[in-house]
Amino acid sequence: MTNLSEEANCKREAQLEHVWGNLPGWGALAAVNHTSIGFRFMATGMIFFLIGGVLAMLIRTQLAMPEQEIIEASLYNQIFTMHGTVMMFLFAIPVLEGVAMYLVPKMIGTRDLVFPRLSALGYYCYLFGGVIILSSLVLEVAPDAGWFMYTPLSSNTYSPGPGSDFWLLGITFVEISAISAGVELVVSILRTRANGMALNKMPIFCWYILAMALMIVFGFPPLILGSVLLELERAVGFVFFETSGGGDPLLWQHLFWMFGHPEVYIIFLPAAGIVSTLIPVFARQPLVGYRWVVLGIITMGFVSFGLWVHHMFTVGIPQLAQAFFSIASMLVAVPTGIQIFAWLATLWQGKVVFHLPMLWIVGFLVVFVCGGLTGVMLALVPFNWQVHDTHFVVAHLHYVLVGGMLFPLIAGFYYWLPHVSGRMPSDKMGRWGFWLFFGGFNTTFLLMHLTGLLGMPRRVYTYEAGLGWDWLNLISSIGGFIMAIGVAVIIVDIVLHFRFGRRAEQNPWGADTLEWAIPMPVNAYNFSSMPDITTRHPMWENPELVESIAAGEHGLAEVQSLRRDIYGSDAVTGKVREVVHLPTNSWLPLMTATVLAVVCVSLLIKAYLIALAAAAVALVLVLRWSWENGAHPRAAPVGTNDPVDPPLHSRTCDGPGLWGMVVSLMANGTLYVSLLFGWFYLWTAAPQWSTPETSPLALIPLAASGILLTLAVMIYHGAVSRLRKRNAGSLGLRLWLASAIGFTHWCLLAWVLQTSSLQPTELAHDAVLTVALYYLLLHSGLAMIFTVLQALRVQRGYVGSSLPYEPIVIQPFWVYTLGVFWLSFAMFLLLPMAWGAP
Amino acid sequence: MTPSPFHPINLVLGLIIWALWFVLLYGGLSIGCAFAPPDAGDGAWTWINAASLVVALMVTGYLLTCAYACWKASSPSSAAKAQPLNTFISKTSAAVYLVSAVASLMLVLPGVRLPPCV
Repeated sequence: MTNLSEEANCKREAQLEHVWGNLPGWGALAAVNHTSIGFRFMATGMIFFLIGGVLAMLIRTQLAMPEQEIIEASLYNQIFTMHGTVMMFLFAIPVLEGVAMYLVPKMIGTRDLVFPRLSALGYYCYLFGGVIILSSLVLEVAPDAGWFMYTPLSSNTYSPGPGSDFWLLGITFVEISAISAGVELVVSILRTRANGMALNKMPIFCWYILAMALMIVFGFPPLILGSVLLELERAVGFVFFETSGGGDPLLWQHLFWMFGHPEVYIIFLPAAGIVSTLIPVFARQPLVGYRWVVLGIITMGFVSFGLWVHHMFTVGIPQLAQAFFSIASMLVAVPTGIQIFAWLATLWQGKVVFHLPMLWIVGFLVVFVCGGLTGVMLALVPFNWQVHDTHFVVAHLHYVLVGGMLFPLIAGFYYWLPHVSGRMPSDKMGRWGFWLFFGGFNTTFLLMHLTGLLGMPRRVYTYEAGLGWDWLNLISSIGGFIMAIGVAVIIVDIVLHFRFGRRAEQNPWGADTLEWAIPMPVNAYNFSSMPDITTRHPMWENPELVESIAAGEHGLAEVQSLRRDIYGSDAVTGKVREVVHLPTNSWLPLMTATVLAVVCVSLLIKAYLIALAAAAVALVLVLRWSWENGAHPRAAPVGTNDPVDPPLHSRTCDGPGLWGMVVSLMANGTLYVSLLFGWFYLWTAAPQWSTPETSPLALIPLAASGILLTLAVMIYHGAVSRLRKRNAGSLGLRLWLASAIGFTHWCLLAWVLQTSSLQPTELAHDAVLTVALYYLLLHSGLAMIFTVLQALRVQRGYVGSSLPYEPIVIQPFWVYTLGVFWLSFAMFLLLPMAWGAP
Repeated sequence: MTPSPFHPINLVLGLIIWALWFVLLYGGLSIGCAFAPPDAGDGAWTWINAASLVVALMVTGYLLTCAYACWKASSPSSAAKAQPLNTFISKTSAAVYLVSAVASLMLVLPGVRLPPCV
């Protein structure tokens, strides 16, 4: 610890700002800092929210009166599809990711997220994906099959235009962003907490974000797979969802809702994290039942994956199977209830101060509990059948999503505004905004339950007069416009507060969490020095942290070698293990995302050669990205003043990159398991599933290629085992050898595919096999390229006995590639043969 | 066989087992109904429902055992190990195992009344 003079401290902080700050002017586009990226996610998400809101107003205008022709049917279909798509994919998830990206490092006492360039890439993928999707609306070719894009409505036959392609490609692009954020947040929370911040001392918000991030990792891949399969069906005629070739349209519904239902909780969990953070602050009382709430979070994270079929109760699934999902749907109310009772108990025990954010929290409690109750009603199969596809469901989902997400989000915005701007929002305008929004929302959606119970179906652009729906729709529409006025008041309030809001004092709400220990408005590096944290309420128990952090009295106060350094800590105990050096501002994320956007647009216009070339350029950019790591001169070249205790992470065998690789492989594995699910689903449930008379693949060469892959993995494993013992003898040679054998395996596998008699445009069986083979080729090829890169790095001196990190990070990728190869061999080839198919 | 009650894997292991059980139950039902469907006239008393119930009892029993082990480890009698972090992990894990056990058993209860493939 150091205690510096004021002048020296100012100089030190200026150096921190120099190292951590963004580049000036257009250079800000190269920013990787979590504060900047978090802001950008939130600001972009709010713009998409306004666009989605305008679409909602168009819907309500059209439905206000019966038999209106303001919007014609096909345009109405595009509008409601885009409203759902924009709100779910371009607003709700990204804006909450932005909140998490902004807050998590500040709450866990560190300076940035652990993979900053990944944050920036995620943002640009989100931005470009969103723009691509929205451009379809401007071009009047927007998707019109509903936000869940059910097949066969979204297939070529019924949606021959490019609308579905915009959706499938754009959403997949946006999902790259979500998964990158998921990986980043998981590893950051587990591996970069402040020294001493054990799991039981972690801010409750971080538990929520950890669960949300893991749910993204496991929840999004099924939809990515579904989108890839549907796009393959639409673009090149592969059979997956067409009944005539052995496909099944219900496979899409399964893949979509395997993502879609957890997504509701992916949205709810961070919002509930805001609630669990704010209630103790305004109740002046620690959260009652911290451990119970953690139990609720973990349980919700898992159980929410077991509910997807409750969106499919009317498709003809056996009653017993429906009952499994009905039970699970009711079970999920238990962890929700635990949290609600913990919040009520905290309020009960505390002395509640009703500042503006608290008003939104109360609104959340009322609206969300109503939505939860109708959710339990919908979990009951007979009731579900009655109201399926009616406005009752629309009302329910808005109560859950707006109540469970938007109310807490606005509470959070008001709560953390002073942190961002250093100014307080207007209490009077804020209250007007709340009551207009709350009143308008309930006017719109409370009555909509009745509209649904009276039988009005969703997604109809108009209705006959005299069915008893007229006055209900009119009032709902009036309510919708009142709600929109409420949103406008809130926006005006927030914009004006930057200019006219009164100056906020430090920690203006009397909060307990660490983000309030840093200067307001926030700087680029968060913590001028990094404190030890051994309590859940650092600002209540140790308010002088503000001064001691600013005075540089804690760790990593001095900038070393102009590096962006943070602590890496143990996932359980939070004890510091290494110094993690982070990359600085970089253009690579923007360049990579731009090239990926070219891939996306090329696929849209069916310029496949350009798409292929752009994908190759993207790979080169990503390899360049990985080249500037470890001991590279632009990262942390070996020097005499390298820290030893704790060491730099690139000098260890277990840095955050290894965790990032494992978490990424979890997402990848989920995608693969989804493909396996699709295989077994079609095999057992597709009405016209059929197999070719003879095996379309040469089995012996395929097995031989698997043996070569096994050999390559063994050689790689041997090299890494020696490296872990700090023995780098013949490391380069071993890596070259593993690459060469891997390349031979790849060539043989490609030959098997080339010479096969697969007919993916005729049979779903062959289409799935083809996708599986391309998946294996992709992984083997990447493993080989990564290893060549490591061999080159050995030659350059970036990898060696004292720099063992990077080959260790790549090892799980080899193991995964080997695992999926043999699993595919067993599941796609041996099992059907054992069952009697060729 | 259970991991140390203080290992953080316990925080999720119970629900991982529940999830695997759910997949096995739903997948097994689908495969059973596709390849060896019992007679619809048998009602609920079929080999599929019986097998589900037996496996559910085994899974539930195992999860309850794990819950007990974690709870016991955090009791005052094992105070030597009862550091706050350890207590947090073992007590939370005990609750996770208990919830998982209840959830695993509840999944099969409709099988007492409903036929599997109708």
